[in-house]
Formats: sequence, structure tokens, C-alpha cells
Amino acid sequence: MPGLTVQLADLQVEGPRLEVRLTDTAGAASPAAVDALIDTGATVTVVANRVLKRLGLGPVGTALVHTPSATNVRCHKYLVRLVLPNGVGLETVAIGTPLRGQRIQCLIGRDLPKNAVFIYTGQTNTFTLSF
Amino acid sequence: MKDTVSSPLKKELRTYAVHKSELLRRARGKYVLIKGSRIIGTFESELDAAHQGYERFGNVPFLVKQVVEVEVPLDFTSSLLGV
Repeated sequence: MPGLTVQLADLQVEGPRLEVRLTDTAGAASPAAVDALIDTGATVTVVANRVLKRLGLGPVGTALVHTPSATNVRCHKYLVRLVLPNGVGLETVAIGTPLRGQRIQCLIGRDLPKNAVFIYTGQTNTFTLSF
Repeated sequence: MKDTVSSPLKKELRTYAVHKSELLRRARGKYVLIKGSRIIGTFESELDAAHQGYERFGNVPFLVKQVVEVEVPLDFTSSLLGV
């Protein structure tokens, strides 16, 4: 089971974030390196619209979305490939929305770790994701 | 309902609506792949249907949709989502 452990200066403040590369599943688009946050409060993975636009991906579906500030917002879905720092590649159908702030451009939702082990170790400011 | 989806999949969504009853009878819970007014097929998983769409049509808009009576919204607790 390939595992990836990430150490941060302050896991509580930063959250379980890591740099990932996003691309299309055919590998035709130039990968976009983005900061991603593992978000167990997200049903599925979300990618910022501006990143999807850069990748030139066309939508493959739609979904209704509930957020703290809105209900039943219809958003597009995109087939994306996400490559972790250890080289593990994962494919999923992600939601495209605007993401507030400049730093986090991808929320890794519960669709990707659904077959993984996710260990959050606050004492050592590390988290581990194993597939 | 606030609807942010404009033109790219309008035709496919209309096709789904027209064929929804028939799809519910023969493929409830599966994922249907639609391009324009054509139903290409139904698949066991969303990823399978999306891959098939890419293989057949390339990187252009097409619709993969789960065949369900009522669409359940996806929940997000983060305030980072700008919707």
C-alpha cells in the first residue's frame, strides 16, 4: 500500500494540505501544480474553476451542491487526474466551483480517500495517506 | 433554485429529461452517457462512463448522469467554496 506522509509547521493552522498536480486523464494537458486540502467535509473533490480553465477541460456532467451559504447550486463536473507528491495518480469526477482565497485550489473530498487510510497525527504535525 | 449551468450541457440535460422515465425503468442507479440528443449507453460507475465519453468524443462537453428519480445534492461544509 503506497503511503505518503506530509509534515507541516502547524497542522492545526494549515490543515492537511499538500501540493498535487492536476491534469486530464489522457495526459494531454500541461499539469497544474496546486495546493490541495484534504477536506472530510466535502462529499467529492472540488477543483477551482480557474485551474480547470487552464487545463482546458470540458464538462462531463452536472451536480447540485449544498454549501454553508447556498443550497441547490448546479455546478459542472470534470474528469481529472490528480497526482500526489509520491507519484500516485488518482482519477475522479470533480466539481468545478470558484474557490475563495488564493492558496487552496483543490479540496480533496471523501471520494478519493474512500479506499485509503488517512491518519491525522496532531501531536507531530503530520498526516499520512495510504492507498 | 440558483442555476449556474449555462449552455455547454443544455442539450444533453434536455435529452436526459426526455428519456428519464425509460432510463429509470431499464437502468435505475446506473450512469448514462449522453452526447447531444443521443444516449450512448449506461455504465456501472461514473468513471467508466466518463472514460467512455473521452474515448469516443475527446475533450468536449458530454453528459454523464446517474439515473435516479430525485437528484441528491452533494454537501460541502467548507466556506472556501465560492458558491
